[in-house]
Amino acid sequence: MAINILIRFNPARPRAGEEVRINVLAQHPMEPGTRRDAAGNLVPANHISEVNLQMDGRLIAQVKPGPGTSANPLFAFKMKATRAGQVRVTVRDLNGQTGERTADLALV
Amino acid sequence: MDRRQFLRVSTGAVAGTVLASQLTSVLGQGGLEGEDIANLNKGLQQTIGRSITDLTAAKEVRLVVPSTAESGANVPLEIEVGLPAEQVKAIHCFSDQNPSPHLFSIIPSGVLPFYATRVRLAATSPVRAVVETADGRYLLASQSVRVAVGGC
Repeated sequence: MAINILIRFNPARPRAGEEVRINVLAQHPMEPGTRRDAAGNLVPANHISEVNLQMDGRLIAQVKPGPGTSANPLFAFKMKATRAGQVRVTVRDLNGQTGERTADLALV
Repeated sequence: MDRRQFLRVSTGAVAGTVLASQLTSVLGQGGLEGEDIANLNKGLQQTIGRSITDLTAAKEVRLVVPSTAESGANVPLEIEVGLPAEQVKAIHCFSDQNPSPHLFSIIPSGVLPFYATRVRLAATSPVRAVVETADGRYLLASQSVRVAVGGC
């Protein structure tokens, strides 16, 4: 099952040249590999280990989260909204599962 | 001691502690609650091949974390760097007491030097933001977070 991702801009429609915050939420348990299940066995680590943020096909940020990121993680970035475009987020976890989402950034 | 005098003395003491804690967080050295330099150095070596003595505390790095967190499973964290975007090569984040002290790394190549996320903290410990600059310097900001229930 692909990893579910949500992208929100704040402000939703920025003015040209204004700073816009890109909030990326992913649905993922982010198992740190230190927890035990009811039977006392270690739950193997499985967290998102790679997040790529692209704007119109150009990589603008790369995050490498370790096991210390909360479940259903938030990744928030800021950028100058110089022009409208398409923001694409791709993630990958330790089990090799991936997720992808695009959102269109529109200016006022 | 009458009440008025007591109030005067106690407010002075409180102001003093607040000032002192701000000072240590700016300087990022010694006396932070829950410090574990050995564990931190392990993470620093693995990630950036440096130890804490190679880092310089800098005011340009602004680390925003709550001073107390009820649950260590979900601690909001924000890092903002007061440097031009092209000067910031990478931002790393560490926590002294976590079983694996490295929390995350971000390499900005088009966004502003800002990052916000939510992290897990195992116990009361300082959180360290380490900024790698284009000219090879490592800047540090630290702040201690008191954790009631560990989140690892």
